[in-house]
Amino acid sequence: MSRWELGPILRAMTRNKVGAILIALQIAVTMTIIVNAAYIIVERHTMMQRDSGLDEQNSFYLTTTGFGADFEPKRVITEDLDLIRRTPGVVDAIQINAIPISGGGWSMSLTTETGDDADDVNTANYMTDEHGSNALDFNIIAGSDFVASDVRWRERNQTDWPDKALVTKALAESLFPESPWQESVGKTVYIAEDEPVIITGIIDKLQAPWIGWSNLEHAMITPEYLVSESTRYFIRTEPGQRDRLMAELESTLADKYPNRIIRDVTTLTDTRERSYRQHSAMITILTTVMFLLTLVTAVGIVGLTSFNVNRRKKQIGTRRALGATQGAIIRYFMLENLLISAGGLLLGVVLTIALNMALIEWFSITALDWFYIPIGVVVLWVVGQLAVLGPALRASRVPPAIATRTV
Amino acid sequence: MLIMTNLEKTFRTDLVETHALRDFNLEVKEGDFVSVTGPSGSGKTTFLNIAGLLESYTGGTYMLDDYNVATLNDKQRSRLRNEKIGFIFQSFNLIPDLNLFDNVDVPLRYRGLGSAERKKRITESLEKVGLGNRMKHLPSQLSGGQQQRVAIARALAGEPRFLLADEPTGNLDSQMAKSVMTLLKEINLQGTTIIMVTHDPELAMQTSRNVFVKDGKICDAADVHTMPLASNQ
Ligand SMILES: Nc1ncnc2c1ncn2[C@@H]1O[C@H](COP(=O)(O)OP(=O)(O)OP(=O)(O)O)[C@@H](O)[C@H]1O
Ligand SMILES: [Mg+2]
Repeated sequence: MSRWELGPILRAMTRNKVGAILIALQIAVTMTIIVNAAYIIVERHTMMQRDSGLDEQNSFYLTTTGFGADFEPKRVITEDLDLIRRTPGVVDAIQINAIPISGGGWSMSLTTETGDDADDVNTANYMTDEHGSNALDFNIIAGSDFVASDVRWRERNQTDWPDKALVTKALAESLFPESPWQESVGKTVYIAEDEPVIITGIIDKLQAPWIGWSNLEHAMITPEYLVSESTRYFIRTEPGQRDRLMAELESTLADKYPNRIIRDVTTLTDTRERSYRQHSAMITILTTVMFLLTLVTAVGIVGLTSFNVNRRKKQIGTRRALGATQGAIIRYFMLENLLISAGGLLLGVVLTIALNMALIEWFSITALDWFYIPIGVVVLWVVGQLAVLGPALRASRVPPAIATRTV
Repeated sequence: MLIMTNLEKTFRTDLVETHALRDFNLEVKEGDFVSVTGPSGSGKTTFLNIAGLLESYTGGTYMLDDYNVATLNDKQRSRLRNEKIGFIFQSFNLIPDLNLFDNVDVPLRYRGLGSAERKKRITESLEKVGLGNRMKHLPSQLSGGQQQRVAIARALAGEPRFLLADEPTGNLDSQMAKSVMTLLKEINLQGTTIIMVTHDPELAMQTSRNVFVKDGKICDAADVHTMPLASNQ
């Protein structure tokens, strides 16, 4: 162990504190930021991976708005859906009031008892017909799906509700936390405090329109068509047919009934991209920050070590004269960096936890998983050692004769 | 223990070739105290660096004990320097950030000695040069003469058989030079071979043998008393 010069390195360092302390602080700050950033990145990434329940790769939607005095919404919607469903390559199509994960939609609160002091549960509400399960790609895992006769027309100013609804498993669990979700089938919930709706089926998965909402998994479907000049169709296609059908159906619908405008022909993949753009931007920014900070720290270490190597040229030559091998010189600088890093990383661990606690406080993110800290320590330790390697190799090539040749 | 035969050293830069040593022949025996004198630029430091394995040579042969120096690699040369050779430099070359104890410790650590052994050697050698009570001092807290004594202690702690000194008194006043010289003579009496480069004929006179170097060559092993004084500054 005597060859490792641990004690002398430490004692020599206390005589040249400033550079070492600055680098240690830089390492501490870098660790604090990159570990927290990495955690946020992973968290956002996990968030972006959440399944909407839809067949996103093969789905799109569009809006059509009819005009003119003789426009008959009911007839046009019925004929449109019939036409789209018969188009080769289409798996299924529905009229729907809102698109999952799109950012816009309808929500309501449900209670399990009447009266205004009952606890309510918020949910997104979709309105569509018995083709919903096929178009939105969900399964009924308890109870039964709608049939055609369940579906009614909701007139423009109509405010009452159908007596049946499908709910997601997550919503069933929130509504009736005491009993298994399967037992929710047949139970009654209340809309607007007193209007009863019977749960007739449970959906495995369907997300609400708002990705940042804490009740993202809460969705309810009521069996109805909306009577409106402006309506939205959601179309699921066979794999690979989506892009072709987007163009084709747009013109087919326009040809079939010219007195309308077709807008917003949008894929679900675009919708997801747009909804999660803020998160993917955050990931890009944080990744860049992590990379730059690490780079700046590495450059700082290279700079400090190079400065030390130049300053200590004569000392290095003297050490070589006294018997240091080239390896011993390299080891000296590596070990010195290891000690500086150890100090910085120790402080870094404390600061990392402190920043995480502050972030939990301010932005209500969740607590960092413990293993991010050792990973951060190891990564920065390795970065430090790699950064030192170049200057240390240069130091090892200082000729021993420097000892007698310089004054 | 040291035999140089037809040794040559040529420094090559882009513009010039300098023949620092040519046809350099010297044998130094165990227990000798050799002083090396000569005009500035004559090749004294070059010779000493080669003798101490700090520099390579470009021709001839150099045998140190039974080693043909040309065949040694960097690691072997480092080990020989560490185990057999002690260095004393004109400007002391103490490590400014280390106290006296740690300074003397430097070569002992390279040898891989245990801490008890190192401590014993450091204490003994610092006591020998009269600085046993200042082990925690930094070099900057000492006078030049004291610093050179620390450097001598550092060289002695490794118990070298061979001590090389390049103008060890060059930066000292005559009083301090004298005491350093006394120390070196004591060390030599205890059996250590010493080669010392000096500009001071007074000091050269006190050694057992003087070698006069001129233009990279040894002029006949000169009688100290008739040595030219031209280089005396
Ligand atoms: N690294 C080098 N590159 C080129 N030439 C060198 C180098 N080192 C020494 N020399 C040249 O070699 C010659 C001998 O130099 P050396 O240092 O051995 O002289 P010296 O006798 O020690 O002189 P001084 O008494 O001034 O110390 C000089 O001409 C010097 O300029
Ligand atoms: Mg010289």
